[in-house]
Amino acid sequence: MGRAVRNALVAGCVLLWLVPLYLLVVNALTPAAEYAGRPEWTFQGFALWENAEAAWDAAGIGDSFQASLLYAVVCGLAAVLVAAMAAFAVVVLPIPRPAFWFWLIYSGTLFPLQMFLAPLFGLYADADLYDTRLGLMLVYTAWAVPFAFFLIRNHMTTMPPELTEAALIDGASFRRIFWRVHVPLMRAGLGAAFLFQFTAVWNDLLLGITLSRSPDVQPVMAALTALNTAYSTTGPPVILAGALIVSAPTLLLFLVFRGLFLRGVTASAR
Amino acid sequence: MTGTATPAQGPATPAQGPVEPVRERGRRRVRRKVPTRTPYQAVKPGGGRLGGPLAALPWALPAFALVGVLLVYPFLRSVYGSFFEDNGFTSSFTGLDNYARLADDPIFGRSLLNTLMWVAGTLLLPVLAGLLLAVATHRMRFGGIVQLIIVLPYAISGAATAVLWNFMLTSDGAVNQVLRGAGLDGWARTWLLEWPHNTLSMIVASTWQATGLNVVLFAIGLRAIPRETVEAAQLDGASGWRMFRYITLPGLRAVTVVVVGMAIVNSLKAFDMIWILTKGGPSRSSETLALSMYRETFRLFHVGYGSAIALVLSVIVVASSWMYLRRQMPDADAAKS
Repeated sequence: MGRAVRNALVAGCVLLWLVPLYLLVVNALTPAAEYAGRPEWTFQGFALWENAEAAWDAAGIGDSFQASLLYAVVCGLAAVLVAAMAAFAVVVLPIPRPAFWFWLIYSGTLFPLQMFLAPLFGLYADADLYDTRLGLMLVYTAWAVPFAFFLIRNHMTTMPPELTEAALIDGASFRRIFWRVHVPLMRAGLGAAFLFQFTAVWNDLLLGITLSRSPDVQPVMAALTALNTAYSTTGPPVILAGALIVSAPTLLLFLVFRGLFLRGVTASAR
Repeated sequence: MTGTATPAQGPATPAQGPVEPVRERGRRRVRRKVPTRTPYQAVKPGGGRLGGPLAALPWALPAFALVGVLLVYPFLRSVYGSFFEDNGFTSSFTGLDNYARLADDPIFGRSLLNTLMWVAGTLLLPVLAGLLLAVATHRMRFGGIVQLIIVLPYAISGAATAVLWNFMLTSDGAVNQVLRGAGLDGWARTWLLEWPHNTLSMIVASTWQATGLNVVLFAIGLRAIPRETVEAAQLDGASGWRMFRYITLPGLRAVTVVVVGMAIVNSLKAFDMIWILTKGGPSRSSETLALSMYRETFRLFHVGYGSAIALVLSVIVVASSWMYLRRQMPDADAAKS
């Protein structure tokens, strides 16, 4: 059919998708003092560093950035380890009623977060975990486990049972089988799960605004939201520079590990 | 990717090569004596030195403890709490009153309507646009680059996307600027401050972010359609629309189920975008159920009422993800289609 029509359509879409990105970059580069109250369409200077610094220090994105990095790395790793162990138990080990365990753990991703928030808030207030880094790390790990479990379990079921049998015949213990056979063979799958959970934790806003308040505990998305609330006083260049900073880690991970990353998403389509 | 085979069957089936049909059949016969096993069954006769069935429990325990204490318990507590009138300090049992109140709360009605608009809009825009773009860029010269550009916003977080679109959609933002520049002054409006526009423009903003993933998923599905099928159809004279309707679309069925399921669930759970762009306002006109729950619970301290909204939302989410979930069940062969 009309090749020209197709090309025009694709070109139009690409343009539509690029314009907001272009505006994001251009206006994040505009010096905050020179911003005239309406979006700039051409480069007005190169003040990215100043704007980023303003967002980082004055608006407190810096503290949150470090906190979020901690949450995303630690919780991602912990969730993948815990989930891999659970998957090992459900898929390989002779646990009674594997389907029950699967649903018990998997149910954590089924429901919207809203279902957990109010009791979590109460629980955290009682346990003095509200507005602490430990508290957020615990809930992020718990929140990341179910989907990581799902991904890893699916991957683990594709491993030939002969591997386990051979290792058992050789007299290996479960721990040895897990660390020496399954973990090395599933490196890619575990990596995909980690990337996925890193991004999920990094991008979280709802848990962050519910369970924390102070700047050095708040995750980065909550800090960006607070910055955006002061839209008229801070000025768009600083806010957009903040949005760029906040997106940098996931964008970088995505560009570097695109294949691995999409594997996590597409695993559910398989 | 056939989409219909659950991973559990994969390992035990011997690799099928058309080259050696005879030996293939021979191997199959041997296989029949040793029934196909899942990894799980490999250890089953264990016992003895392996310490019986309970030896596996410590492996599942950390996951169970985390999920149990921080997700399952709060879930049950929410269900229980929805039967109470609770302002955060005192609570009294009121049975189904919270649910009865939902029925004649105009804000809840508006919220439900907005939620439906989100679901419909998400099905209409990102899914259709994703399908269209995937088909258009399939086997195109710069198709890979186009897909990368479209998927870029997906790698930006929801909050950053919302901040960017806030900049685009404010009254003196880029969208109005473009409309005025094009001489369409009548079209420019305060996008985020009037009811149907605020929800609709936020749906468009989330389309910008969500379409890329759908393009990628559909593209994977397209690549999995066997070349032979396409060639056979071409020999039979199919092209254009008929090719799309009778070859491409059926070939994409499995992916479509997943994309549609994810689109519905994500649109129901949408929070970041709305919270940053309008906070559900003005005067709660752009709230969805996800927002209403948060406002009732943490801003107005109607904890029980908020829990009731959360439960309604959960029921809708689980019910609408059912078709998508069926395919993910661990040991349900009946669910495969």
